[in-house]
Amino acid sequence: MEQNEIILSMSNVNKSFPGVKALTDATIEVRKGTVHGLVGENGAGKSTLMKILSGVHTKDSGTIVFDGETIEHTTPIQSIRRGLSIIYQEFNLVNTLTVGENIFLGRYREMKGLHNSHKKARELLDSIGSTINTHTLVSDLSASEKQMVEISKALSFSSKLIIMDEPSSSLTADELKCLFRIINDLREKGVTVIYISHKLDEIFELCDIVTVIRDGCIVDTKDVWKIDEAGNKTENLTRNEMIAMMIGREIENEWPERPRCAGDTLMDVQNIRTRKLSDISFKLNKGEILGFVGLVGAGRTEIVRAIYGADKAKDLKILINGKQSKIKKPRDGKRAGIGLLPEDRKLEGLVLSFSVRDNITMSSLEEITKFGFVNSSLEKGIAERQIEALSIKTPSPNTKTKTLSGGNQQKCIMGRWLEINPDILILDEPTRGIDVGTKYEIYVLIKKIAENGGSVILISSELPEVLAMSNRVLTICEGKITGEFNPEETSAHEIMDAAIG
Amino acid sequence: MNLNTKALGEQTLKILSKQKAIVAIGILFIIMLFSSANIFTRGHIEALLVTASPDLIIGFGVTLAVICKGCDLSVGSVMSISGILAIMMINSGMPVFLAVFLAILSGSVVGFINGFLIVQQKTEAFIITLGMGLFIKGIALFITEGRPVSTQNAAFNAISNTTILGLPSIVMYMLIIGVLIFCLMRFTSFGRNCYALGGDYEVAEHSGIDVVKTKWAAFIITGTCASIAGILLASRWNTGNSIYGDLTPLLVNCSVVIGGTSFAGGIGGIIQSGIGVFVMHLFRYSMNLFRIDGVIREISPFVRNLVIGIVIVTIIAMDCFSIKRKKEDV
Amino acid sequence: MTKEATPVKGYLNKAGNFVLEYLVLIAILLLVIITAIIEPRFLTVENFTNIMRQFGPLSFTALGMTFIIVGGFIDLSLPGIISLVSMITLSLYDTIGEVPAMMVGIALGTTLGILNGTILVASGATTQAKALFITFGMSEIYKAVSQLYTGGSPQDRNFFESPMPVTNALSSGSVGGIFPIAFFVFLFFLTILFIFQKKTLTGRSINYTGGNFVAAELGGIPTKRIMIIIYAICGFMTAIGAIVLFSRTPVASPLMGADYARDSIMAVVVGGTSLLGGRGSVLRTVLGVSLIILLFNCIVLISTNQFLPEVIRGAVLVLAIWLDHRRHAKG
Repeated sequence: MEQNEIILSMSNVNKSFPGVKALTDATIEVRKGTVHGLVGENGAGKSTLMKILSGVHTKDSGTIVFDGETIEHTTPIQSIRRGLSIIYQEFNLVNTLTVGENIFLGRYREMKGLHNSHKKARELLDSIGSTINTHTLVSDLSASEKQMVEISKALSFSSKLIIMDEPSSSLTADELKCLFRIINDLREKGVTVIYISHKLDEIFELCDIVTVIRDGCIVDTKDVWKIDEAGNKTENLTRNEMIAMMIGREIENEWPERPRCAGDTLMDVQNIRTRKLSDISFKLNKGEILGFVGLVGAGRTEIVRAIYGADKAKDLKILINGKQSKIKKPRDGKRAGIGLLPEDRKLEGLVLSFSVRDNITMSSLEEITKFGFVNSSLEKGIAERQIEALSIKTPSPNTKTKTLSGGNQQKCIMGRWLEINPDILILDEPTRGIDVGTKYEIYVLIKKIAENGGSVILISSELPEVLAMSNRVLTICEGKITGEFNPEETSAHEIMDAAIG
Repeated sequence: MNLNTKALGEQTLKILSKQKAIVAIGILFIIMLFSSANIFTRGHIEALLVTASPDLIIGFGVTLAVICKGCDLSVGSVMSISGILAIMMINSGMPVFLAVFLAILSGSVVGFINGFLIVQQKTEAFIITLGMGLFIKGIALFITEGRPVSTQNAAFNAISNTTILGLPSIVMYMLIIGVLIFCLMRFTSFGRNCYALGGDYEVAEHSGIDVVKTKWAAFIITGTCASIAGILLASRWNTGNSIYGDLTPLLVNCSVVIGGTSFAGGIGGIIQSGIGVFVMHLFRYSMNLFRIDGVIREISPFVRNLVIGIVIVTIIAMDCFSIKRKKEDV
Repeated sequence: MTKEATPVKGYLNKAGNFVLEYLVLIAILLLVIITAIIEPRFLTVENFTNIMRQFGPLSFTALGMTFIIVGGFIDLSLPGIISLVSMITLSLYDTIGEVPAMMVGIALGTTLGILNGTILVASGATTQAKALFITFGMSEIYKAVSQLYTGGSPQDRNFFESPMPVTNALSSGSVGGIFPIAFFVFLFFLTILFIFQKKTLTGRSINYTGGNFVAAELGGIPTKRIMIIIYAICGFMTAIGAIVLFSRTPVASPLMGADYARDSIMAVVVGGTSLLGGRGSVLRTVLGVSLIILLFNCIVLISTNQFLPEVIRGAVLVLAIWLDHRRHAKG
């Protein structure tokens, strides 16, 4: 095999979004006919990298050469036609159309009709050993079948490079085996595959080369195997080395000293069951920071939404201070002394077109209402107090929140909850998309809440953050709690291991 | 065992929620039990088809808009104004052929404007087409000064009032248009692209489909169908009237949903919509033949309106409720 | 993004935003000038009284509609509510007396509004489009019930026996011959609703619900209750609008409210309250209603065709929706 030919090279690619640097001087070379692993934590910059390649985002600077051709501006369809296909985690398929139509979406004319499309689709599916009927609706397919369709679609463009974004996240063991067989076949045929995954076992089983990415920077690119003169394959790097590269920095001074004021049990959650969650039970102590560690989609957000009353759950039993609380809607959650800082601050947290003041006072208006009337001078006071206390950088309390940076937006929601001072504050990804300076301020806030006797549930995709801030960590994988750790006594490796499952 | 029956039940529910027309026909048969008139005779069915044809043609057009995840509430006014325009142009001495052509074109123009506002300017389809409908109704009132218009032209009258191959011509046109649009949606890349962009706008766009042009064209076709229906209606009654079609848009949009074309976009088809509109008409028609104590009594139009109101609310509320249940499913 | 804009472009943008923001005021000013030029008698006390008198049923229904639209929804059931409320109220005049009948009418209107809201909440219809279809269907139901109740025939007040001082006052009474009583009633409700919207917890919660339904719900605002409240307010104001409407027409038909859903939405949107929800105020609606009244004053002066206003109405509605979208949908 002509393994030394470079099919894709990116050099010094930079990309920043308002307030965040998503990619810094990313440089990668992918050799033709290899399976190239790409690993990194959530939010490390993998998806940004992919979206720049596919043309969804435009890079700020740097050069990309694909198959000998320098690519400046591209659109998704152009890059597919060049031979670069991406299979996203949330599939790029139209659910209401049939398999055959999806594979040749927008190309019926080139295919000379639907009948031919279905025939060609059949051949493609056969070539990867799949037996799906091409007339089935995509919405009726399982995740693995959808993946087959996506792979066939990529092959129909005679792709030279296929990028798979966490392809294994929704597959069973057997389906995974089948996927591996297909990827190995592709490699035989000379198709290059970039395989993005968290699951290190898969990387070792499948990949030739692995690149580790962290905080928007490429940490290293290494061969997974080395072959000695006798032709024996041995591991070139260990699992532990790889985890170390992913987590990177040891816990340094980026975090304030963790508070140690955990007391007695405050909340006892028993038996949350939904379609995604099974038998989630845990306890939360007074003054404790409890971290939830897990991959995106593992069920972290679903757990806290069920506790807060935002989602329905079967047999949910929550005891707060030993008394059972009936929580059926968010309002009940708030009344029971729970606050939730939601995962998506723009869609679920803020009213973007409203002022900073309106957003801060949203949940505390009830407290300053007498005979139905809101006391507006008290309201102003609240807004000013929180802006001051959290040092929210805004020209005035009347500024619309959509003009603020991500960090200041997040502080507005923090301020909203701090004003009513809930016993339990749930923070779902509080530092996502926020610059380093503001992150530190938010950590200090979290610490203060705990010191003042409040309990915090902290969800974050950044492992170091959870480990540095929490008194106790629960790992969640595929809707189940898989472990409970003391982050001061357990290594990051062990916790990551439990979270990856 | 238990699982099997449960799965069977779920399957049945799934089919029923997809084909609401089956539910509607069921209700209809229950009504039939109380009414001893047998409406399944050739005479009744022909009469029914003749009255239903204009709405069916509009329904075919609206289906396109709904498949593209849009909706068109201006069709009623377009229907009324195209008939008025045709008659007025004929009365001013224009050849029938040209007048009819221009009147049909007026619907395409409205469709074009709708398309511009919805697809290009990205306004909310239902509210802007509601506004367009009222605007066009205003124009219709203005040019007719609120009075019905009619013509002595025999050729124009003949359009809808002859028979072709033993069928009333209006039914024939409806069938032809239905087949044409069926083929358009089923066998052409335009039709398939409509389904694709209605199912997932972004995926369709990323797959290189010209989503703007396709959706825009769908709205033009919707408008054109409405104006064709207007001409046929005007020819059938030899009258153009600005009060035609006040209820049409909401009824047709609801009928299309009953047929199984969903506002969620990308689902449904001409045949389903045809069934939906037909069932809605069958419903109204059979209510006219209600028999109480063996005597045919004309049902008060108020009761009819009451029942239609209840049907609209029930169908849409059911649609919302099933979506809500699906979301909350734990 | 702002880096790319040159200063000149920035100023142009600002000027454009200014014009968009104060479009209603500018249009009102222009209309006053145009009308005053065509018809010098426009600027007289009699005409002023005349214009105040035109703050009739529409101004009440539009105030109610403001809350629906600020809350992020829409209500097409106004014609039905007007029909049912006016028929039942009028039928009670002779049996229970004028004022009690009006009270019954207002209570009925509010109840119908609550019914609308409850159906929307129960079926989970939390989008504008679904609310549009369901309230339309409800309107048909109310209208049919009202026609069944009266047998479809109009109610002629000339045959009523009881005295009707309040009705007559609403229709033609005035203070000092200048200020119509109905205008005072309007000002009264305007003040109350303005304070309600700006100062009370419920009024503020309506804004949050319309601004971002999900965020409001997660922030602990009782969004479902708010939905029912806005429909109740709309039903209440529509009932008052219905009373003012039939007080001005001696013979009331069950179909007389047909245009009020459209016109109210138009007045609200023309005033600058956004269909996207969350933004707007009753004061803006007053501007919208004023603009429409002035506009029709002006049209009547220009043309004798009684249907020209219909065309203009439709055009203004489409234009207003489009401009609203251009103004607010950017961010």
